[in-house]
Amino acid sequence: MNIRILKDKFPQSIIAVTLVLINAPAWSSDHDPIKELTKPKSTVNFGAGYLFNDNARFGQYTGLRNEGPYGIFNVDIVRRNDETGTWLKLLGRNLGLQNRDVRFEHNKQGNWGYFIDYSQTPRYEPFTVNTAVTGIGTADVHVPTSPTSGDPAQLKTERQSIGFGYNKFLPGNLEFQLHFRNEDKDGARLFGRGNRLGAPGPRAVGGFEFIPEPINSTIRQFGASLDYVGKQLQLSGGYYGTMYNNKNSVLNVTGGSDVGGIYAPSAFSPIALAPDNQSHQAFLAGGYNFTPSTRGTFKAAYTRATQTDSFSPTLFSAPGVGANLGGRIDTALLQAGLTARPLAKLSINTNFRFEDRDDKTPVLLYNPMATLLDLNGNSWHGFNNPRSFRTITSKFEASYALPKDFRLIGSIDHDHRDRGGFATNTSHRHRTDEISYRAELRRSLSETITGTIAYIHSDRFGSSFFTNTTGTGDPFFNLIAPFNLADRARDKIRLMANWDPIESLSLQLAIDESRDNYGHRAGSDLGLRKGSARNYSLDATYTFSEAWQATAWFSRNETHIDQTSRNPITDNGFREVWNANLQDIGTSFGLDINGKPTDKLETGASLLYSDFTNKFNQKVILDPQINTVPNISTQYGSLRLHAKYEMRKNLGLRLDYILDHFKTNEWTWNWRYTDGTKLTQDTNQMVSFVFLSAFYSWQ
Amino acid sequence: MLSNVYTIRPWLLVITLISGITLLSQHVLAEDDLDDDDPPPDYVLRGDGKCTVCHDENSDRPILGIGKTKHGTVADHRTPTCTSCHGEGNNHVDSPDKALMPERTFGKNSRNPVEERNAACLACHQGGKRMHWAGSLHANRDTACTACHQIHTEQDKVRNRITQAEVCFNCHKELRTLINRPSRHPIREGKVICSDCHNPHGSAGPSNMVRDNVNDTCFTCHMEKRGPFVYNHPPAQENCAICHNPHGTTAPNLLRSRSPFLCQECHEPNTHQGSSGTLTGSYARNTLARGCLNCHTQVHGSNNHENVRNESMFQR
Repeated sequence: MNIRILKDKFPQSIIAVTLVLINAPAWSSDHDPIKELTKPKSTVNFGAGYLFNDNARFGQYTGLRNEGPYGIFNVDIVRRNDETGTWLKLLGRNLGLQNRDVRFEHNKQGNWGYFIDYSQTPRYEPFTVNTAVTGIGTADVHVPTSPTSGDPAQLKTERQSIGFGYNKFLPGNLEFQLHFRNEDKDGARLFGRGNRLGAPGPRAVGGFEFIPEPINSTIRQFGASLDYVGKQLQLSGGYYGTMYNNKNSVLNVTGGSDVGGIYAPSAFSPIALAPDNQSHQAFLAGGYNFTPSTRGTFKAAYTRATQTDSFSPTLFSAPGVGANLGGRIDTALLQAGLTARPLAKLSINTNFRFEDRDDKTPVLLYNPMATLLDLNGNSWHGFNNPRSFRTITSKFEASYALPKDFRLIGSIDHDHRDRGGFATNTSHRHRTDEISYRAELRRSLSETITGTIAYIHSDRFGSSFFTNTTGTGDPFFNLIAPFNLADRARDKIRLMANWDPIESLSLQLAIDESRDNYGHRAGSDLGLRKGSARNYSLDATYTFSEAWQATAWFSRNETHIDQTSRNPITDNGFREVWNANLQDIGTSFGLDINGKPTDKLETGASLLYSDFTNKFNQKVILDPQINTVPNISTQYGSLRLHAKYEMRKNLGLRLDYILDHFKTNEWTWNWRYTDGTKLTQDTNQMVSFVFLSAFYSWQ
Repeated sequence: MLSNVYTIRPWLLVITLISGITLLSQHVLAEDDLDDDDPPPDYVLRGDGKCTVCHDENSDRPILGIGKTKHGTVADHRTPTCTSCHGEGNNHVDSPDKALMPERTFGKNSRNPVEERNAACLACHQGGKRMHWAGSLHANRDTACTACHQIHTEQDKVRNRITQAEVCFNCHKELRTLINRPSRHPIREGKVICSDCHNPHGSAGPSNMVRDNVNDTCFTCHMEKRGPFVYNHPPAQENCAICHNPHGTTAPNLLRSRSPFLCQECHEPNTHQGSSGTLTGSYARNTLARGCLNCHTQVHGSNNHENVRNESMFQR
């Protein structure tokens, strides 16, 4: 962003409101120290900064992307009428940038209140698109018919939301609340179309075209509730509604390659975009204190979500299909919990949750062509596939106090899921159950060392998998138990300890490790086999003096997935079984130092460094040939320095410096679309942002 | 784009300026001390004089800042007194060297059980969004309200969108590094914060979700994924977290792992679906760029009746 854009976009109304609110007298030289300590303070912070180096990552969500000057403007204005308890607040954050937030609040505490807020959030695609595709951001996109080099373009979306809320306390311990939020999202995002250009085979090439998706939609959320808060009983009942409206229902694409004949990607138009939808929920939640140590809570809710957006007349429509899907999902929720202390040393906690998501969308034949044989000699059924889910979770936990501040906790969790639907080309089972057992020993209240160690074991199992079948009822492949449905045994251990060896030093250690073993479809060894996750962190906080404190930390995260699949048929007609040992390793450390060298000066430094590595480790189980995929390694570092100097008690300067470094050998976009579009990114981004601002405060 | 020389200059500039300000400030005259007179009986809360005699701004535990907060807005008849939260403190006041503590304290060396400390807060704050505190994950893990909230300061760190995550990361350390991964929500920028998705005080949903389930929480910002569609991708209807890790990933679009590996955790190796990852040859189309989504672009579901050959193609 440059200054001209800043000037164009800066909300002038914010300046006006700010000036109206800043009518309090300046901090006088004969200030009242008690008032200074006990009355709310307002602050304005303004200045300018300069960004060195263009970048794609540092400014992805702030707009700080292009080298140049930027404005700094933050306000936090708080006024309170002590006689009436009436507050007036204006919070403006990042007003000189693209990610600005503004919130205005006015309330009489304990009586009434309202707020209005505004939020702007950009998101820049971290890649530069070089493309000859035209119509970016619209629903009518034209693609070159042959590979064509293009000009650089920047994909971006931006959210702008406005919210409003109101509350009023009523007689009888009641409170009425109202809220509304409207969020517009505009721009374009990465999308495309593609297909294999011919019959399946080891050397069948594909055609892939860059089709930017237009984003022009609105999300609305609104609701009202009436709350009752008594000493024993609390209730909250009301309504919550949501609406999604997409300005574009289809994406019309002209041009594109016709290479491949009936397989050519140019055949893929129009493309359906996300349909309008909405939901309406009525709910009642409550809590009741049976005794000082026994409390019950519940929530009951009923939600109707519908999707009745009219089908675009440009889309193919099968006979007997209506003007819209008639989509309807009714969800009933019932949750109840009870906590109690039946004995002085024994606490128990139970929870039950039932959620029935019933998809009542009519099932119709939408695609008669699906019943024709495909290139592999299979046919399919062509019906839409609504899917219902019923989830029942229940929990029982008991906690017993032991001597010397120890506490022993045991719990059993049961997660039961029923899924509707049937199996076609992906494995499916109706029911899964997962039972988890946890044993934990915890020590709290100690002045030097506290901590917890826990062991959790869970087993997931379920009903038999259906046989995957084609539209003619013939068996399809039945080799993979999907990740979320497969039998699974999980063991997890968790350790957390806080130790204060001396008054000025605090140490914290956190370790957890889990190991998963997955079950398979009968007679198959393909799919997920094992998984593991390991996290460990060490934090240290040291207080040098009343004025100086430092924190250092180190974290390492490792996840590992062992999975197996089977290659497509090769030239020699052999389908090799191969295995991937996927590893995701993150190593990070941070250091923060904050201090106040003099009464007038505050300063601080914050350093963060992370290294993330993905390893793919592919190997063949039955054959020596295998593809290799290079590791992906990404480093991210950030250094932040600041110094704040008070020239007067209520007036000062603040200097900030940020050094941000992003480096990667990411290979994802080493690729060119067949229309000639190419995505690129700067793999080594070093950015400096320095800004100087003044702050002024008053009461 | 500027050359590297510009990445060095700001370093020098800032270090020089900070050093300069530090040195300069050593010579600035100290501020006039504030008057050290005994405070009047009550400064903020009813009956606080007994406490503020000692706990003024020079104390190790200053408390006057509560006057800047809602708890210190005495025009609201509901505001507490010191003893509402801390209980009677006569023993503390009368004991030599203040060796005896008030009835209830909240610091890290408190001897009061967490449940007892939290009861002081819940006496007023147990309705609305805190309805489900009892039995919630945090309550069951002995989390004190004051582990996250600062009561006597004007700016409660956990209620500030910019600093909230720092408070959560004190315990949820595995998430501290995820937010810096290449694919992430704008958590660092304070545009998406922990409490946008989680209610730390408990909820009727799993994992303290602010809505009743994971998907409904995601839909508050990503409602275009809700459908229902003519052709639904079942895991997208069941739980977004089957494929996505919302806290940050190295794979694009917050996916738990990359294509084709992620897709192969569910899909049968019919033909090309079983191809190993490769950057060369025709099957590179399953690994590079959007991977499987180069063709199956409508992975969350499609409202287009006409999908080539079968209803699971998600190609248009």
